[in-house]
This record gives sequence, structure tokens and C-alpha cells, in this order.
Amino acid sequence: MEQYLVEMKNIRKVFPGGVVANDKVNLSIMKGEIHALLGENGAGKSTLMNILTGLYRQDGGELFIRDEKIEGKYGPKEAIAKGIGMVHQNFRLVKPFTVAENMVLGNRKTIIYDEKSIVSKIEEISEKFKLQISPKAKIWQLSIGEQQRVEIIKMLYKGAEILIMDEPTAVLTPQEVKSLFDILKGMTKEGLSIIFITHKMNEVLTYADRITVLRGGFAIKTLNASDTNESELADLMVGRQLDTKRMIDDGVNIGDVVLKLENVGAMNDKGLPALKDVSFEIKGGEILGVAGVAGNGQKELSEVITGLRSVKKGSVIFKGDNITKESVRKIIDRNIAFIPEDRHGMGLANNLPATDNAILKMYTKKEYGRFLLNKKKIDEATTKMVNDFEIKIPNINCNVKLMSGGNLQKLILARETFENPELIIAVYPIRGLDVGATDYVHRKLAEERRKGKAILLISEDLEEIYKMTDKVAVLFDGQIMDVLETKGADIKKLGLLMAGIKEEVDTNA
Amino acid sequence: MKKILWLGLALFLMASFSLVGCQTGDSDKFKVGVIYIGEPGDAGWTYAHDQGLKAAIKAIGEDKVELVVQQNVKEDQSSSQAMEALINQGCKAIFATSYGYMDYIVDLAAKHPDVYFFHCSGYKTADNLSTYFGKIEQARYLTGITAGLMTKSNKIGYVAAMPIPEVVRGINGFTLGVRSVNQSATVKVVWTNTWYDPQVEKDAAIGLLKDGCDVIAQHQDTAGPQIAAQDAGKYSVGYNSDMKSFAPKANLTSAIWNWEVYYEAAIKSAMDGSFASAQYFEGLDKGVVAATKLNTDIIKDTTIQSKVDAAEAKIKGGYNIFTGPIKDNTGKEVIPAGKSATDTELLSMMYFVEGVDGVIPK
Amino acid sequence: MLKVEKRMETPTYLKVVIPIVSVLVAILFSSLILLITGENALAALNTIFAGSLINWQEVLVNGVSLMIIGIGIAIAFKMVIWNIGAAGQMMMGMIFAAGVALFLHVWIPPALLLPAMFIAAIIGGGLWALISGGAKAVWNVNEVITSLLLNYVALYILQFLVNGPWKGVKSMGFPQTDPFPEAARIPTIFPTGRLHYGLLIAIIVVIVFYFLLNKSRWGYEIRVIGEGRNVARYGGMSLAKNIFIAMFASGALAGLAGAIQVSALEGRLSPHMNTDIGYTAIIVVWLSRLHPLVIGIVSVFMGALLYAETSLPAAGIPTEIAKLMQGLILFFVIAGDFFSRYKVKMVKE
Repeated sequence: MEQYLVEMKNIRKVFPGGVVANDKVNLSIMKGEIHALLGENGAGKSTLMNILTGLYRQDGGELFIRDEKIEGKYGPKEAIAKGIGMVHQNFRLVKPFTVAENMVLGNRKTIIYDEKSIVSKIEEISEKFKLQISPKAKIWQLSIGEQQRVEIIKMLYKGAEILIMDEPTAVLTPQEVKSLFDILKGMTKEGLSIIFITHKMNEVLTYADRITVLRGGFAIKTLNASDTNESELADLMVGRQLDTKRMIDDGVNIGDVVLKLENVGAMNDKGLPALKDVSFEIKGGEILGVAGVAGNGQKELSEVITGLRSVKKGSVIFKGDNITKESVRKIIDRNIAFIPEDRHGMGLANNLPATDNAILKMYTKKEYGRFLLNKKKIDEATTKMVNDFEIKIPNINCNVKLMSGGNLQKLILARETFENPELIIAVYPIRGLDVGATDYVHRKLAEERRKGKAILLISEDLEEIYKMTDKVAVLFDGQIMDVLETKGADIKKLGLLMAGIKEEVDTNA
Repeated sequence: MKKILWLGLALFLMASFSLVGCQTGDSDKFKVGVIYIGEPGDAGWTYAHDQGLKAAIKAIGEDKVELVVQQNVKEDQSSSQAMEALINQGCKAIFATSYGYMDYIVDLAAKHPDVYFFHCSGYKTADNLSTYFGKIEQARYLTGITAGLMTKSNKIGYVAAMPIPEVVRGINGFTLGVRSVNQSATVKVVWTNTWYDPQVEKDAAIGLLKDGCDVIAQHQDTAGPQIAAQDAGKYSVGYNSDMKSFAPKANLTSAIWNWEVYYEAAIKSAMDGSFASAQYFEGLDKGVVAATKLNTDIIKDTTIQSKVDAAEAKIKGGYNIFTGPIKDNTGKEVIPAGKSATDTELLSMMYFVEGVDGVIPK
Repeated sequence: MLKVEKRMETPTYLKVVIPIVSVLVAILFSSLILLITGENALAALNTIFAGSLINWQEVLVNGVSLMIIGIGIAIAFKMVIWNIGAAGQMMMGMIFAAGVALFLHVWIPPALLLPAMFIAAIIGGGLWALISGGAKAVWNVNEVITSLLLNYVALYILQFLVNGPWKGVKSMGFPQTDPFPEAARIPTIFPTGRLHYGLLIAIIVVIVFYFLLNKSRWGYEIRVIGEGRNVARYGGMSLAKNIFIAMFASGALAGLAGAIQVSALEGRLSPHMNTDIGYTAIIVVWLSRLHPLVIGIVSVFMGALLYAETSLPAAGIPTEIAKLMQGLILFFVIAGDFFSRYKVKMVKE
């Protein structure tokens, strides 16, 4: 038997509500390796790592650390005692404090803050691994890359020998990515092991020693980085037997161009470029799907069209009018509907009744009252939505937080289609919905398409793309890689495009 | 739905108000209410009033009169509420012991013609509202004589409270006393803008002591300046009540109030209905103010006491200490020779006499 | 083991029962303390409750300011803007109203003097609140800190005015302005007692803002913004504009309350204007869960509690005990609120 530091065997984790996050997952980590966990969002990577770090408890399977079977109490404290430390995507640092002060936060054993010994220990770690962090710097003075290195120091300070990095490159510039991996490589030479979670194929191939691919909660395969290639990885990541049966008829009612984006560029919330030269158009009676791994600019794309995010470059054209700089309200009044990704935080006000939520887009219209709201009209409109969309709700004055996910989405759908919109932007409209609700949403979208409406459908589900769209645009790293006719599109090609690989692939690969 | 429930709650509260029952009129004692700016404590302005009221009630008979006290009443409209509460409890005579209550009393007096009001240090009267105050400057004049004779550096410090006529008048009376026996002494004034702040007032005295002053006089309610003088091995002059116990090695004498002189008569007038609206403004002769006997542990020279006694006799005999010629401290004549300041002039005095080293902030 | 769970929805009967039980428990507790200290518990309770009824005018006098300020605070709180500067905004309202009463009254017909003072106070309080509102809207500066600190600035402005340029010629050297002309005083409703026509204004404010906040388009926007900035933006609402308007309205009402207080109860400006009620109103708003009509009722309840603070010493109960009882009642009412928001269950390990 080979010398594994960590072995996870047949791990199973089921969340309340019956969602299987991990099943039959095997993972083994060797001393001194960089091991990549590759998979799409929702593939079960984070769950698996949370089991390893003691945050969750597996429902089945076994966990071995240095050949010792882990049983009994195993929480984050025990995990770090066994040398397992995790660097989260969102740093857990106190910004006004110094690096040294951050080391001992939450450590109950530290009663006296002995700065001298902490500082010298940080300097030792920093020097050994070339991290170049000054122990007395305040966190807010450091760049994102430096803060990440502080998190690494924090784990090493606590004695971590296996370092788990959750999407470490998501927040970094390309130069920072390079230097991060140089540091990580150096650490493996000292006998440390690194596990990094990612969905970026190029990083995996460049920097990892071994790769475990997860898909839909299963560990599909573990490969040596030197023995594989992008095409194989793409296959493993998305390559299940897809149901590509189409739900919509071929284009019947194609009209004029409704929405057109020309070289649109925009920043994300952190101020980094999120969209780069995005151009495409949608015609009436057409559904354009946007495929891609989440986090590649989908959210930003939906927001630049609806006016919620400022456009740095290029223009957004709606039925011939330039709406690039228009306010959200103006765009709403142009009858552009938006089904947002975040149902609770954006699409609906949870603690307000269904009536208040129903008029969110149209409350400025004078038939609902110029000054005092017309309660009767509002109730009528809400009742119509509830009836037309078969929304289950005790009464229309009930707070929407009591409704189920499917009914919430129906309410949003009902509201967004109430005024007969010209264009619908739908972002992950079926996320978290059961089969029935998914089907309902899809039928409604198909119905709108038949009426000649233009629809932009942002999806993370290739089945949905095949089922629902006329054309598919693949978004990777803020760029449209290609726009294809959905019907007959090669699934392998789509997979590669989603991984950011554009060159023609020959069928033998 | 919610609204109805909250309304229900309100009704419950209302009901509980009335359920608890009616007022318990517990005695036929005559109730006297008083509002104090502070707490009586063991020295100072409020202490002097509290002692005076208690002594007066004892004299009339504790079985006949009951005192109801409201402490720490601010000089804003909340004072009206405090007095309303006293009236609501059946008080038929209300004493208010600070100037700032004036306009609220005037309003209240109009609304409660069956209640007698007495306002200390104000100037507005009504049919059922009298004012009362004392010429403490006369007592200060006497303490000034002691200070003038005891100073060696010829610099006397005065820790002043607020720049208002009452305080200014006190400083002037004191200074006239000093200068009556020692033409080369000056009185240096610092303002604390406080009535009760032990630390600030002590610090102000320390500043004066560092400046070379060797006798410290004061206007506030705390003994901070006395203690500062004792700590520095210098002398002090107290105010309001006898402050000797706070600084036995420093306190030479104190200018004090004997309010029971007034309170006894005032309460009696309210009890028997002989009340007549008046402005009481008396001095040494009626005994409402006094200078305590000199501290013989410090002052061995008995001629000083006799000089003070002589001045006291002169004032009691009708001498007005503000008799011209008096110049202000810029050299301008404010009271010509042969003239004396009237009570009205005294009550609005806002200049310093010659010998005061200080300015009145605008 | 005890387990605490957030309630999805509070059962309706609890909304009535809990506050009643809270007050009863507080009364029981207070009585115990009174018995221990040897005071007459019944007499004290009698003073609090019967005393409030007999002197209902004083209770309502306290209630007037609480209602108007409370509504103002509720507007901001509904938007999750924590305006705790009501005391300062009230003071600015007093200053502006006093400015009109003292210096402009010669040019204004007597009948219009009070309305002019109110308008000035609304502008003064509103603009003062806009300093923190604007900083919040434009630079996202924490309004808790700015509005609180501005309370002190307002106090210093007031002190500067009454000690300096506005010091009255008839004030005999005291730091206060001259008294307002008679036309600048709000009259009392009854010949005895201090209850004044400001009560009518307060009731109108409560009713008008009930409709504005619960039934109008503006109130709708405030509700949605309070639910979340993202929902509001998604619904096409302008955050900055609404923060501006809400903060102005919030400060304007505090300013109006200040004008009413200075006009009806003070009649002049002096350095201490009893604006602590600007903080007390925050408690009222919290207990009322931001509902305008409930604020109206709870203001009266709180007005009675405030009155008890002065009526108890008048009945011979020591001030310390009076404040203790007042604190206990508040404590239990707020603690009771916990039980209407959370469920406590016994769970077996």
C-alpha cells in the first residue's frame, strides 16, 4: 500500500431535504503533492473538503489521516491538530489588525499576546516559504494576493501540513496566480501537501501533480496531470450522457433584432474586468442560451443589460435604441423583464406580502395609484398572477418568505411576464427547483418565445441549453468564445469552449 | 389585524391604570413641595436650602407640615412637570430654588391660583408668587475683609461659577471687602461655567494657586477649591454653608445662607393664608446671610475678628456696601460719590469693580 | 437543553398576551423590590397608574414629542437608516423656530407666526439630518456615528447662540434669549394644566404618516428599500434619492417636535432644552415595531413612564427607586419582545 497522508473512502453526504452532495467519493492525498479537485459548481468539491476539515460529518464512508481511522469527535479544531488547514475563498482576517494579531484570533489558548515570539515565528515561516509578509503590517494595507498569503501563514502557524485552497485563483491577477503557485510548489518540496479546488482546466494542467475530477457528487477519476489533456478533462467534467431532446420547435416566428450588445466591457464588484468585448444579438422569437461555468461573467452580463451595472465600454442596444446608460427604471419601463439569479436577495422582498412583491416592477404605473396606492387594483393584479401561474399561497397578503422555491420562481415569472415584455433576461431560472417546477418554467419560457419574444437564458446546465435554446453563446472569463446553433452542436466542443479552449478539436482526440 | 391587537394592548394599559384604584390621601399635614437643582449632599447651595426648610418645619411642627422634595430638576420645561407632580400630590406651597425655573413658575402660578409659589433669586412676581433672595454680597464683604488681611502675596483667587449678575455681585462685594482693608490686593477671577463639578472646580483653584494666589474664594457647590487650597498649604474662603470641615487647615471663614429665617415665615404665611406677594431681598440685618466666625486654629490675631465685627455692625446699621465712589476695573466710574446702588441695579450688575483681575465673558 | 428558534410568524394571540404579561411581571418585580426596601408598594403603584390618569395632561405633554419624533425615526428605521440624531435635529428645529419668533416676528402677521416657525423648524431639522443623510447617500458614511456626533454639535451651536449673539437684553446676564412674543406661543387646551394644541399636530402627524408609510407609493419604496438594497435597485428605485428624502423627513419631524416644545412649553431658548426625549423616542419606535399607529399609542405609555419619574418622588418614593421601576418595566417589555420573535423549546439531548 502506498503511503497516503489522507484517504477518503466511499464518502457519502446527504443534506437535509435529500440532496446528495457526495456519494461513493474516493480521494487520496500523497505527501508532497499538489492535488487538484476539478469540477463544475455543485459537483461536491466544497462538501468533500468540509468533511475533511471537520465542518461536516460524512453520512457514510471512512476517513483516514496518516493511516489512522478518524472516529469520534472530529471538528475543525481536531482537523487542524491533525495538520489539515483550509484557506477559504473569502478571507477570514480582521482588517484593522496586524498580521501577527490575526494569527492568534480565535485561539483560546492564547491568553497573553506574546508579540515577539509570534513575530519571529511568522518571519521564520515567511522566509522559509518566500511569502514576503511583514508581521506588523495591517491587513487592510495588503493587496488581495498578500492577504491570501497571510491566510496561508495562518494555517502554517497553526501547524498545517495539508493545505486546502478553495478556488485560490478566483480573486488573483495572472501574475499573482503564477507567484502563488511558485510558493505552493516550494512548499511541497518541504514535504507539505496542497489540495486546490478549481474549475479552471488550464491551471490544473499547469500546476497540479494529480487531478481528481468530481461530477454530480461523484469522484469520477483520479489522473496524473502528465498523462492527461484538456479534452479528456472536459469530457470527464461534463461528459455524461446528456439528454439533448429539444423542447422547443425550430424557429417559427423569428422577428427583428431585439437586443444587441457591441463590444461590452464591465467590471465585477471587486473592480476586476468581468466582461471583455462581449458582442451578440437576439431576435424576436429566439432564445439565446449562455453556457459556461458559473463565475465567468454571467451575473455581470445580466446586470449590464438591465442597467444594474455600469458599462465601461461598448453599447447595449434595444430595438434600435441605445440603452447603455439608462437607469434601471427606464429599462424596466421599456418592458424588459429580468429573472435574476438571486431570488431572495434581489428578485423578491422576503418579509413583504405577495401583493407588494407583485407590483415591484409596475408600481410606478398610474393605474396602481399616483400617490396613494390603489389596493384594489393591486389585489386584482396579484390574484391574476396567482391564478394564471397556479402559485400556491394561503392568501395574497402572506409574506413571500413562507413560499417554496418553486412558487417563488413562479411569482417572479408571473410578475416579469405580466406586462407582456419584449425581452426576458433569465439567469439560472431553474436553479434549486424540483422537476415539476423546472418543467413549468421551461414551458412558460417556450410560450413567450412562441409569442415572438426575445429571451436570453443564462444557464449552467447543458441539458437545459439543448432543450430550450435556438443558439448558444459560450462565456468564458468574460468573453464570448463562440456562438453556435444549438441544434446539432457538438457537446465535446461546447465542453472545451466552456473550459476556454477554442482550437478545433479533431474527432479522434 | 395587528392594529386591533395593539389597540387591545392599549386598552389593557388604560384599564390597569384605573384598576389600581384611587389616590391615598394619607394625612392632613400641610404639604410643602420644593424643587432642587441638585441633591442636598453635605454642603453647598441645595444643602443650605434643605437645612433651612428642615429647620423651619421643625420650628413649626413636624406633625403639621410635610416636606416633599424633587431633586435634580433641570431648568427647562421638565421643571414644570416636576412642579405639576408636586401639586398633584397635594402640595399647597411650592418652593423653587434656582433662577432658571422663573418663567415656568410664572406660567404655573397663573394656572394654580390656589397654590402659593416662592421663587428663589428670580424677579417676577404674581398674586400667588413671591420671590426671595439674600444679599450674600454683604457676607462676602465680611469674608473679603478677612481675606484682605490674611493675604501675603496680595493676590487672592476667586473660582467663579457662571457669568450672571448673582455671581458678579458676589465677586464685587468680596473685592470691596478686600480693598476696604488692603488697597494693594487684587482678586483674580477664573470661570468654571459649572455649579457642581468637584474636579473642574478644584483644578481651577490649583491654577490660581500656581499663579501666586494665597487665598481662594469660590461660588460653586463643591468643596474642591477649599481642598486645593489646603493641599497647597494656603487659605480659603467658603460659600453656601460652613465649609470648615472640608479643609480645617485652610478655611478661614465662609459666607453662608440661613434660609430658615425666611422659610419659617413663608410656610406660615401659606398655611394661614396671610400670604402677600412680595420680593424678599434681605441681608445681614435679618440674619438670612452671615459670615461664620473666623477659624481660630489658623487666625491667632484677634484684631481681625473685631474688624469683621465692626464692619458687620456697620452694615447691619444700614450701610450699603455699594456706595460711591466706585469705579469698574477699567477705571470708569460706575457709582458716583454719595450715591448707592439700588436693589434693581444690584440684581442686574454685570461689571467688575476696581481690584478685580478678570473679565465677564460676553 | 433549551433551544431557541426564530419564529417564522408570531401567532396573533401572543402579540397581545406577551406585552400584557411583560408589564405584569415588571409590576410584580417592582413590588418585590419596593417591599424589600420597605417602601409602600401599593402607594407607589397607585402613583404610577392612578397618578398618570389624574395627571393625564402631563402624560400627553410627554407623549406629543415622542409621537412626532417617533414617526420621524420610524421613517428612517424602515429604510434601515439608523438615525439616532433626533435630539440634535430637535434642537435645530428649536433654534430655527426661535430665530423666526425672535427676529422675524415683526414682519410676519401674528396669525402666520406659528406656521412660519414650524416651517423654519422643519427646514432646520431636515437640513441638519441631511448632513448625515447626504454623507450616507453619497459616500456611504456610517449614519449612526454622524447623526450621534451632530447631536453634540447642535448642542454647542445652541449654547453659543444663547451665550452670545442671541443672549436676551431682558435676560439680566443669564444665557438665554428674550421671551418669545405671545403670538409665537402655542396655547394650552385647558385653563389649568400644560396640555397644548401641539397634541393635535401630533395626532395629525401620526395619521398622515400612517397613510404615507403604509398606503402610499413613497411608503412602498421605503418598505422595499428596507427589505434590501438589491431588491430596491432591481425594482428601479433610486437609493440615494430615497435616503435623502427619508432623512430629511426624519429630521424635519424631529425639528417640528422641537419647535412645538420650545413654543408651547419653554417660550424662550436656553442652554438646556430637554432633548433627551429624542433618545427615548428610539425605544418607543422599537417597541412599536415601526408601525405609525402603534407609535401613537406606545408614546402615551412611555409618556406615562416618564411622568412616573417625577411623580414618584413627589409621592415620597425615592428617585432611585422610581428610576429602577421605570427601567424594570422597559426591560420586561423589551425582554417580552424576544419571546414573540423567538420560540424557546425544551429539547432532549
